[in-house]
Parts: sequence; C-alpha cells; structure tokens
Amino acid sequence: MLTDITLGQYYPGNSCIHRLDPRTKILAVLFYMVMVFLANSPLSYGILIGFIVVGAALAKLPAGLLLRSIKPLWIIILLTMVIHFVTDPGKVLWQWKFLTITKEGIVLGVKMSLRLVLLLLVSSLMTFTTSPIVLTDGIESLLRPFKKIGVPAHELAMMMTIALRFIPTLLEETDRIMKAQMSRGADFSSGNIMKRAKNMLPILIPLFISSFRRADELALAMEARCYRGGEGRTRMHELVYGKGDALTGLVMLGLFALLAFLRWGLPA
Amino acid sequence: MSIQVDHISYTYMTHTSLEKKALDDVAFTLEKGEFVALIGHTGSGKSTLAEHLNGLLHPMAGKVLVDGVDLAAKTPEAKAARNRVGMVFQYPEHQLFAETIYEDIAFGPRNQGKTEPEVEEAVRSAMEFVDLEFDNFAQRSPFQLSGGQMRRVAIAGVVAMEPDYLIMDEPSAGLDPISRDSIFGQLRKIFEKRKMGVLLITHSMEEAAQYASRLLVMSDSRLQLDGPARELFTHEREKLEALSVDVPESVKLAEELRQQGLPIEGTPITKAELIRAIDKAKGWKAC
Amino acid sequence: MEPIIETKNLTHTYVDGQNQEMTALQGIDLSIAPGEFVAIIGTNGSGKSTLARHFNGLLTPTSGHCLVGGLDTAIEENLWTVRQTVGMVFQNPDNQIVAAIVEEDVAFGLENIGVPGPEIRPRVEKALAAVDMLDYAKRAPHRLSGGQKQRVAIAGVLALEPRCIVFDEPTAMLDPRGRKEIVSTVLKLNKEKHITIVYITHKMEEAILADRIIAMEKGRIVLEGTPKEVFTQVDRIRGLGLECPLAAEVANALDKQGHQLPPIITHKELCEALCPSK
Repeated sequence: MLTDITLGQYYPGNSCIHRLDPRTKILAVLFYMVMVFLANSPLSYGILIGFIVVGAALAKLPAGLLLRSIKPLWIIILLTMVIHFVTDPGKVLWQWKFLTITKEGIVLGVKMSLRLVLLLLVSSLMTFTTSPIVLTDGIESLLRPFKKIGVPAHELAMMMTIALRFIPTLLEETDRIMKAQMSRGADFSSGNIMKRAKNMLPILIPLFISSFRRADELALAMEARCYRGGEGRTRMHELVYGKGDALTGLVMLGLFALLAFLRWGLPA
Repeated sequence: MSIQVDHISYTYMTHTSLEKKALDDVAFTLEKGEFVALIGHTGSGKSTLAEHLNGLLHPMAGKVLVDGVDLAAKTPEAKAARNRVGMVFQYPEHQLFAETIYEDIAFGPRNQGKTEPEVEEAVRSAMEFVDLEFDNFAQRSPFQLSGGQMRRVAIAGVVAMEPDYLIMDEPSAGLDPISRDSIFGQLRKIFEKRKMGVLLITHSMEEAAQYASRLLVMSDSRLQLDGPARELFTHEREKLEALSVDVPESVKLAEELRQQGLPIEGTPITKAELIRAIDKAKGWKAC
Repeated sequence: MEPIIETKNLTHTYVDGQNQEMTALQGIDLSIAPGEFVAIIGTNGSGKSTLARHFNGLLTPTSGHCLVGGLDTAIEENLWTVRQTVGMVFQNPDNQIVAAIVEEDVAFGLENIGVPGPEIRPRVEKALAAVDMLDYAKRAPHRLSGGQKQRVAIAGVLALEPRCIVFDEPTAMLDPRGRKEIVSTVLKLNKEKHITIVYITHKMEEAILADRIIAMEKGRIVLEGTPKEVFTQVDRIRGLGLECPLAAEVANALDKQGHQLPPIITHKELCEALCPSK
C-alpha cells in the first residue's frame, strides 16, 4: 500500500521548526548547501553535523526517522566512497594487483559521502517539518519576484497543488482499471519488454482518457468558482516572517561566517 | 455447479495502524442459474467480497471454490476457474481502451486463447445481447458513444468471455431511468439464455426486489442476512431497519395502506404486485 | 420581484466530432424567481446540463439571451459578477475539489475574487459549518466519503455567498447515505438561507422536493409545473424516459382500470383516496 503522498514525508508536529516560514526553511537549506561545500576541516563538518542534530532535536523528530531518509540513496553514497578509495592517487596504504588504496583516497571518499549525507539530511529536515502544501506556498512566494523575467510562479504553484490533490485519486483509479482488465484475462507480468509495454496499453489508455476528462471537469469547476489565473488573487494563509525566522537568519549568517573563518581565516 | 464462499475473512493493511477488517467469516453459495442481489452500505465489505469471487483477492482464512476448484491454488485449473467468473466493475465504461468496439469486446475472449472465428462469434453474440447492432457498431470507436451505450459495450466485453457466473457492481449507477431499464432488460435476457449465476451488487432495493430471487445483506464486514427477497421484507423488517437497509417503496406503501384500513395481503415487493394486491383488497377486477 | 435567472429564446448549437452542427438547446424561455427551488429533469442528452451551464456563464447562448440578476452573461465584463451570483456544483465530487486540504479548497473561490486574507478564514468556516463539515477542515479530500466530498464542494461555492446555486446531478455518483446528506443540505440552503436552487436531475424522488419542475427533451422545455402537475402525467413522463413516484404510477394504473381517482403523487394521497372511511 502506498503511503499518503499528499503528506509526502511530512511528520506532523508543532515545534518551532515546524512553525518557521517555509521561505525561511527553503533559503536556509540552500544556504546550508553552500556551507557544505565551504567546509574543509573536521571541525567545520562537526559544526554542520551539530546543526542537523540541533535542528532535529528542536523539531522533535525521532533520530531513526531522519536516518531512514538516507536509505534510498545509500548505494550511491557507498559507491562514491569506494570509487574515491580506489581511484585517487596519493600515499599508498595498501595494494593488491591493480587495486591501490591511498590515504588521500580515504579522506576524500569519506568527505564526499559525508557531504552527500549532509545534503540529504538537511533537505529531509525541511520536508519532514513542512507539508508539501506549505512548501508550495513558499516556492510560489520566493519565485514571485522572478515573474518579470518570465518565471510562471503562480502557474507552477497551482500545478503542484493540483498534482498533490489528484495523485491519490489517480492511483486509486489505476488500481481499479488494473483489476478490471485482469478480470478480462489481461496479463501484465509475462513476455519480453515490448510485449509487456504493449500489455500496459489497456491500463494506460483508460487512465489517460480519464485524466483528460477530470482535467476538463476541473477546469470548468475552477472557472465556475471565478478562477482567472494568479492576477489579483489573495491567499488565506499569507506568509509572514516572524521572530523565529529572523533568528534563523541570524544563526545561518553566523554559521556562514564561522565556516568562512575556519576555511580562510580572518580577512587581511 | 456453484461458487462456494467458505467462511472467508480478509483484512486490509495488516499489522499497521490502518488495519481494517473487510470480511469476517463470510459464507454462502451462489448456484449457477441463480440471480442473487448483494446489498450493503459503502464500506460494508461487499466490494472486497466481489473481488474474492474471481480471484483478484485471496482470503486470509477460508476458501472460495468455483465448481469445486480453490481459486487461491496456483494451478491451471484455478486459472480456468477464475476465467469462468465474469466481473463488471462500477462505471465499467471507464475501462474501454480499444480503437473499435469490436476490438474492445474481443480483448477478453482473445486473452482466453480463443481462435479468431471463435472470438468473432463471441463478440457478435455479446453485442446482440446488449442490443448493439454488429454491422452498425462493430467498427466504430467506443468513445463516440453515449454514456449508456459505452456501458453496454463494457458489459459486452465481459459477457463475450462467456462466463458461468457474472458479478456486477452497480451496473446502473449514474444512468437515467430509461438506460437503466434497458440494461436490466438485457441482463435478464442474458441470464435466462445462458443460465449463469448472477450476483448483483446494488444500493437499490427496487432493483434487488425486481430481479433477484435471493438477497444477501452485508454490514460491518459480515453477512447479516441471506434469504429470498419476499421473506426478508416480510419477516426481517426489524433487522433490516437496524442495519439501516431500506425496503422497496411498494412494501412501505402497502404497509401504509394497511394501516389506513385497506386489507392488503402479503408483501408486494414490486409495483405490479402492489396494484394486484390493491385490486384484490378493493374487490376490483383488474382488466 | 426581478427574476434571478431569465432566458429569452435561448438557443445553443455546437459543432460535433463529425463536423455536423448540432442543436443542444432550442428556444428556451424561462424565468426563475429569487428563493425558488426549481428542478430541471430529463434523460441524458436532453440538454439539461447544457442549459445549467448557461446560468453562470460557462456557456453563452448562440442566439437569444441569458440574464443573471439582470446582467447579460454574453457580455465579458459581467462574467465575474454573474459567477459570484450563481454558483455551480457538479456531478463528480472528485473533479471539482482543487486543493489537497479541505479548508484550502473552500478558500479557493474567495482567493480568486481577491478577498483580503484575514477575511477569508471566517467565511471558510461559516461555509463549512453550513454543510456540517467544520470538523473536517484540515482533512485531505480523498480520504472523505462521496457525500462528504460533495458537501466540501458545496461549501466551496457557498463561501462566495451566491444568491443562487445550480446543482448538476449532484447525487448521481453517491450512495444512498451520501444522497440523503446532499438532499438535506440543499433543502436547508433553500429554506433557511433562502438561496435560489436550480437542481438538475433525472431522479424523481429528488425532483419532487422542488417548488417547480421543468422537464426537458431534445433541447426543449416540454413540460412545466408543480410536482403534482408534472408527476400526475404519468404516461407523458414515462414517454420522456423518466419515472414518476410510485403512488402516482399506481394511481395511474388503477385509473386505467376504470377507477376514478383524484390527482395523486404521495403515499398519503393514495391512502386517502383508497381508504375514504378514515
């Protein structure tokens, strides 16, 4: 059974992290990503790890939950590490036939995979504490200034909203169509790739037709409720920055300064 | 020849917080040649039950036997048995996919491994049952038809598989009275000609009373009542009420008339029966 | 009083898939008064939904006029006033809910017409309360029953505070429980909030609740009157492919046997006619 996609991996709660403005969280995550590439010493990595730990604690997320978000990508993380181990030149620590492991390789491998893990963790920290709906609002609001150069901020946000709304409906529909065609003796699991692809048509075609029908009806219903694009639209939840957001901004700037200092020292 | 539902139970999402019992020790037999209606509110488990009857779901306890063959077995016999049970889902017109009506109806028979001449024979006969003239409709696109016609194509797609048992989930949902009557007329014709076992899932007591000889009532994942329609409407009124299952309008009207002093006899479950009963009570001669 | 909806010789034609010109509506003249509950009945393809879509400017007449609150729907500038005056609830509850959270969906219309943010929430809550769905404000629509979804859709329309709501077969896809929920909600809106109701259906048990019934066939109005005037014409209604209430059909059959009966459409009336002693 599929997990509820409208919640994404949202972990409902009311912590100070949950309550932060989505825009703050999105910007903070972007900022953090820059800092990950700024870090070059064990101390700086320690600070970045500490940030995640503190964030997760403030959000009252179970540690296991956060770590589980690494799972889908652990193969890539492992691969990154191994490739660096065996390919980087440097001081040879161990050699067997064509395989050489160098000290520099180990350091770089660990560093690279740690970076990946940190990027994953920080974005999960955001998605665990922000529902996709709120996130959509945040993205729309952040993109709005770019409207002048042709970024369709409102349209993108509306598309995301409708997708979130209709994905569960279409999943149910797929299940229904599949069962109906199976009752008519359809076979989805045998034959080569071409044959299998062809066997999917009795599911895909009705699904397309139904999606078009739904889109058509939805457009009509939206129009009936006075929808006319993003122009002149207001929002029930207007995003407002609060004290927490200011504080987060300061913390992020402070961290950035600290990491910059650890990397380059004081400006001369 | 029968579908035997032998004390089956089924639970969705076991071992999770969303665990939900859908079937709880359900047992009954559907004989070939019998027209049975299955009644119950949304969420009573009736759709889950239907999906067990052609092996889309397998029970967690108990067995479903079609002509004595356990559907859960992984044998060619079990596959053949599943094939003998046709299933018409709700809004079946939403499963149409082929370019022509012929191709769509032929989908099931082809999957059964029939030869092309056999397929054509099956399609012709199925189209005749649902009153779609072969020469006029076979090569047309199903998507240009009216809602009622599309539904008939979809039903023909199941009928063409020549099932011994036919499960129908609300075949009249969303149709206007005239399309509904024509679909039920066609169903009746297929039933009488092919002597299938029919299980009609419906919310409409009028449909159940008019077409089925026997009613099954489900509630809270259990089969609560099983018996001839008239008997249930006569003797199980209290239980039906407790399950908030309606009775046919004619039964209610007959009761009101009786309360007002008109001596209506028996339980008229259809309009025609009610008119006859009124004539009799009034001492009128029907012409 | 000025009619809230008025059509004058409204005709609507369209070009179908085979490039043929089809007439969906032909010379419709009707007038709906504020506070009225009008049912429009007819089989599929009789033109009743097409007519309904003219009432809030989703379609405009090919010839003739459709006036809403005195404003011509064919004039572009009137469209937004028209749509705020006449709301519309459709058949499939799934395909008219836009947002993935109930209250967000109800707010959708208000956001569209530019109601200031702080004023939206009270109106959303009021609308949800009117359909008894306030407890579900934070839920995801796909987790609700059909009847509940349809009530959310009604709340979404209600939030715009329209004077009239057009219901286009709102119960066609619902189970009996959902049907009851919707019918009682509609009645409540009409009786308590005095909202004008135009109710499209082919179900006689729902049409009978209206003050006035308009029957359509092949794009024309063929019969009009109170439920009693319409449903006592049993053969006429049957000829349109529709049904009459059981009591009316029974009375009609007895009448044909030669037993004179007064006009009857309810159980009570049939009882009174057949058991005069009481």
